[in-house]
Amino acid sequence: MAQIFGYSGKILRVDLTTGKISTDETLKYKDFIGGEGMSMKIMWDEVDPGTKAYDAENKIIFGTGPLCGTGVPCSGRTNITSLLPTSPFNGVSSSHMGGYFATELKYAGWDMIVVEGKAANPVWLRIEDEKVTIEDARWMWGKGIFDTQAMVASFMGKEAQAAAIGQAGENMVNLSVIRTGASHSAGGHGGVMGSKKLKAIGVRGTGSVKIAGDRKDWMELDKFMMSIIGANNQMVVPTTPQPWAEFSDKSSRWTARKGLFWGAANPPVETGECNPKDMQSVGLRTQKAIFDLGPGAEKYTVRMGGCSHCPIRCHSQLKVPQLEKYGMDPYVANTCVGWSGPRGVMFNGIKDFDGHGEDSNIVGNAIGTTLADDYGVWCNYAQIGRDLKYCWDKGVFKRVLPADEYASIPWEKLVKGDATFLIDFYDRVAFKKGEFSHIGDGSAAIALRWGLGDDYWNDKNGKLWTRGGYPVHHSNEAGAQVGALISCFSNRDAQNHSHMNFIGSKLPIKIQKEIAGEIFGSPDALDPPNDYKPMNTFKARFAAWALKRSILHNSLTVCNWMWPMSVSHDKERGYRGDTGLEAKFFSLATGIKMTEKELDEAAARCFTLFRAITVRQMGDADLRAGHDHMNKWITKADKDKEGKEIPQFTPGTIQMTEEDMALAQTMLYREFGWDEKTGAPTRASLEMYGLAGVAEDLARRKLLPS
Amino acid sequence: MDEATENGGGPSGALEPAAIVEAIRASSAAAALCCRSALSSRFPRADIAALVGASGAADLRLIEGRTETYYFSELSMTRAYAVHLFHVAEKDPLRMVAETVREESRLYPRPTDLRTFLDPPFGLTPSELAATVGALELQEEGRDIAQVRASNGALYLYCTSYLVPALALSLAEWIEVGQKDNP
Repeated sequence: MAQIFGYSGKILRVDLTTGKISTDETLKYKDFIGGEGMSMKIMWDEVDPGTKAYDAENKIIFGTGPLCGTGVPCSGRTNITSLLPTSPFNGVSSSHMGGYFATELKYAGWDMIVVEGKAANPVWLRIEDEKVTIEDARWMWGKGIFDTQAMVASFMGKEAQAAAIGQAGENMVNLSVIRTGASHSAGGHGGVMGSKKLKAIGVRGTGSVKIAGDRKDWMELDKFMMSIIGANNQMVVPTTPQPWAEFSDKSSRWTARKGLFWGAANPPVETGECNPKDMQSVGLRTQKAIFDLGPGAEKYTVRMGGCSHCPIRCHSQLKVPQLEKYGMDPYVANTCVGWSGPRGVMFNGIKDFDGHGEDSNIVGNAIGTTLADDYGVWCNYAQIGRDLKYCWDKGVFKRVLPADEYASIPWEKLVKGDATFLIDFYDRVAFKKGEFSHIGDGSAAIALRWGLGDDYWNDKNGKLWTRGGYPVHHSNEAGAQVGALISCFSNRDAQNHSHMNFIGSKLPIKIQKEIAGEIFGSPDALDPPNDYKPMNTFKARFAAWALKRSILHNSLTVCNWMWPMSVSHDKERGYRGDTGLEAKFFSLATGIKMTEKELDEAAARCFTLFRAITVRQMGDADLRAGHDHMNKWITKADKDKEGKEIPQFTPGTIQMTEEDMALAQTMLYREFGWDEKTGAPTRASLEMYGLAGVAEDLARRKLLPS
Repeated sequence: MDEATENGGGPSGALEPAAIVEAIRASSAAAALCCRSALSSRFPRADIAALVGASGAADLRLIEGRTETYYFSELSMTRAYAVHLFHVAEKDPLRMVAETVREESRLYPRPTDLRTFLDPPFGLTPSELAATVGALELQEEGRDIAQVRASNGALYLYCTSYLVPALALSLAEWIEVGQKDNP
């Protein structure tokens, strides 16, 4: 067998119904890059339309890509693809987690794991290099994720990595996660593992990933990447004025400064200013605890954690001794919505409770994230809290809950801001206790079950983007139509940061527009924040690029919370980054020469295949009407204090218009070559992407646009 | 503020130009401006301006204050930071706040969180800041500076030459409230 580079070359297949374990070849899917792209191909080929997320016939695919395990910065991502339980039509979707699982899988010699079928009794999958076994998980079943990981470690050693579900996943709560490490969660697919009675996957790898290119070239490219990388989300400007920096922005995630510490480290570690000329301080740039939890978190911060092969440490690892009062481990870790999702459940805020005083917010956050991470409950990008608030405000719970159940819920704690409410909340959700627990079914399901109508979907505070039941995630507030378009295509929150890692860089708008002009053909691709203009072709190009880069990153697999490197902190480079880095690394790693354009085209193929699966799963080619529609709050004009409407496209409003967004979608469809009326892939576009077989299949089902 | 000028050659000084250049660079490396008066004390017989100009050190820049000249080296300090230090050194908080707000409204564009001026390198006390904001409302220096308050109560300033009120309000609201819901 010829030497394979970048890829390990093997896909592990596990049928839990039969217990069969087999090996497949990775490179027969190479047109789909890896990770998410290859997973979409397998889902298209092997999961029939009409299959439901919890059916044995559904597959769940843990995917890595050719850059994972090579040492490329920010390449420790695992992509998980399966049918999504929260999708009203069980659409295919991907979730992602960082940590060290993906790299360990590559070192064990596997690019992906495809799990199908359903075990008769709880099992876990044990992977030690080539040796793969299905193990009895009866003693793991019923345990939280922390204990499950400890059990996997006790069997396989502390070097092993585990991806596991908690009680929420076991109970097939739609809003459940798969987690690895202390804080790396992939939201949405925990219940699929639970439906297969698969409690965990443990992996230990002792091999390596081979690189095709010259080592010196590799190191030079790596060094260059390290010279332009910023802080978390590729923010390249520090929060405070600093001697080395031309710019500053208090909203930046480059929080490092003199006098800022990892306060609970022994001895405390000062971040310092992290001048980018000092490459050794990259990992100190993002003191994420104070960003996510406020300045009070500094003294609780032990350190920043993160993923394999990532110099940007974006997970706060805290010691909160007050947790012991509740029988919880004082060590707690998370990042971003891992904190704010549970906090969002406390929709009145977290106030002084149990005598925690000014530290109540930190303690409350820590309680919430500990519970969510152990039970494995997903917040649907903080939507679970907004749903709770809506149903509370509108009296839904009084209407739908039995009186005794309603009376048993400690609402007074929620209202007062006592975060111990979360203990009761997560217990009900994870164990599906009572009618209330259906809040864990997801937004589309509760709308149906509890009769929530237009008022629910069109509530501006609810932030639900489409009737697919998912919320905003860097949408119209992020690049106007660009962000709005990006949110229309997934079957869950977009999880797309390709645009955010550019426009959220905190550089002045003049520089950003110059760079937008160079990448997308015109500075008009980017509007100044909150000062929007009507749609244009360049914004469509920007949105299409962002969509392609997202699936590309999830296929390579590199972190879309850092990549692409559109900008840098380097004044001498005019703050330019390098959007061709993915292709350069891919070519060097695999020996398969690909230009930036060619790799983007491969990504477009993957994204179009995802689109085709959505058409087939919905049984309807009119995606514009049936899938991509946005809820009306997005296109409703704001009102000023006097109640007068603020026209869209005037400074100070980010509201869209229906007409403009219809045009935006048309332009976006055109960018991919899809049908401009329905947004579905056409025969011509499918053939252009090398997907003629997909076109034939859709034609047979009468699902090609006429 | 008098805009800094490039170093423009001129006759070579007779006394220790290298030491003067090094002193300026050392100050910048320590995050401080180097005052001409301080250099004159250290090198009493030197014509500092002439020596700096003749040094050929392309990284050196100066900012002219009311009675003082401030030098810095771009090897370790950006002009933007030097300007902040200049304002602090000039002990003119009114001008410091007004010009910083103007620049942020023009450049990014964004309103400026008032609390910015309590932190380094500005370092105003709360009472100094309150007095400055009050003075801005009354004096000519603040004619183009307006206030906007986010829904959480945070006060921001902006320059009316670059931001209209509705935009300033929406940006302040986003910084204070909106982005925390959209991490």
